[in-house]
Amino acid sequence: MGHAKHFVRLFGVLAVVVITFLAVRAQAVPKDYGTLGRFRASAITDAKKREPRHIGSEACSDCHDKINKSWAAGKHHTPQCENCHGPGMLHVKVMSEDSVDAYPDQIKKNPKALRVTSGIQECEWCHFKTFERPSVLKSISNVKEHITKTGGTYTAKSKCTDCHDPHTTVTKK
Amino acid sequence: MTTPTREELSRRAFLRKCAEQGSATFVFGGMVLTTAMLRLPQEGVPGEPPPKAGKKHPEVIYGFVVDTTKCIGCGSCVRACKAENNVPDGYNRTWVEQYTFYPNGEVVVNSPKGGEDGFSDDFPDSNQPGEIGQRPDRGFFVPKLCNHCIDTPCIQVCPVGASYRTEEGVVLVDAERCIGCGYCVQSCPFGSRYLHPVTKTADKCTWCYHRITKGLKPACVEYCPAKARIFGNVSDPNSEISHILATNRVQVLKSYLGTNPRTRYIGLDSEVI
Repeated sequence: MGHAKHFVRLFGVLAVVVITFLAVRAQAVPKDYGTLGRFRASAITDAKKREPRHIGSEACSDCHDKINKSWAAGKHHTPQCENCHGPGMLHVKVMSEDSVDAYPDQIKKNPKALRVTSGIQECEWCHFKTFERPSVLKSISNVKEHITKTGGTYTAKSKCTDCHDPHTTVTKK
Repeated sequence: MTTPTREELSRRAFLRKCAEQGSATFVFGGMVLTTAMLRLPQEGVPGEPPPKAGKKHPEVIYGFVVDTTKCIGCGSCVRACKAENNVPDGYNRTWVEQYTFYPNGEVVVNSPKGGEDGFSDDFPDSNQPGEIGQRPDRGFFVPKLCNHCIDTPCIQVCPVGASYRTEEGVVLVDAERCIGCGYCVQSCPFGSRYLHPVTKTADKCTWCYHRITKGLKPACVEYCPAKARIFGNVSDPNSEISHILATNRVQVLKSYLGTNPRTRYIGLDSEVI
């Protein structure tokens, strides 16, 4: 019977290990882990929560009705407002408030909170000629060449929007 | 125990034994057959594995089709994605690859900033054949994104259950559980994942889960001016995507890896990897 002491010790140590393991596990594993699979079920609701940053052209027409109508009726309606002007969620928020003080410096500097369009870069994204681009798309390979060929004078400040209306593709001059 | 001899087994005992064993075989066989039949697809959802025994396909299974023949390489999808999901500079959830083929057999794949600033004809690297005066043979653009695979390795390798798939088939990352070990980043054969430089957790394309669950399209689909990206519910036979999948020849990237991507491609060239 002299061995009983050893067994008591062994089981004592084992019990401590098992209890510690169970306690740590209860703390570390979230309650809803495993209800839908090997993951935290509430992660799905978390993923759904985020607010979309792009609001869609229809939402833009709430305030910019006139330009929206001419854009929708024109040939250039496949790219939407936010394709060139950038996401509009912050713009709507900022414009509906009196002050931009609550926003980070970036927005204070750009109080409309939209992409500042250059009138040339936005056009080049699609209409700059590259070999791989399908030829159905009207494209030019050189702005200077294009302007001189069409009878204009090229300066460093020349923009596509000088002659072309980006919303309707109607040529201004 | 002795084996019953011919004399010991009466007619009555013989018949009883036959009935017992026969019915047991019948019941067992019936069970096997029923299980097999339950495993058959209840309703055909093309490209989807059959649902688990006794279950039906979920009502919403998302699918994505990229029509490479329509892509004009403008990078609208990349810009929309980066703005919508606040993707840090130098990382991409979706990107566009420019494939250019030269007469000497050389293939040049280019993706400057993932296509965020558009593409040009010039190759900045002087070693590229574009600089040595060769005219390319052919070329095209291939948009890439997470394939949301059915048998994806990234979920399998996650040691903490931070990578998971929703019932709709969208593969997501639980940033709260992710420990940033990077196993999933390495296991993805498509390079769709990265470790976010700020949160230090794995990050990837979510098919804009926050948008699609509100009835919107993913940002890249909504802002593609060429309609080269199609997104929808493949479980609904009347949806646009089901029609496109039924009437086109679609392919997936790296099919030989057996990951079963849910992102399918139209007009995929054999050179595309």
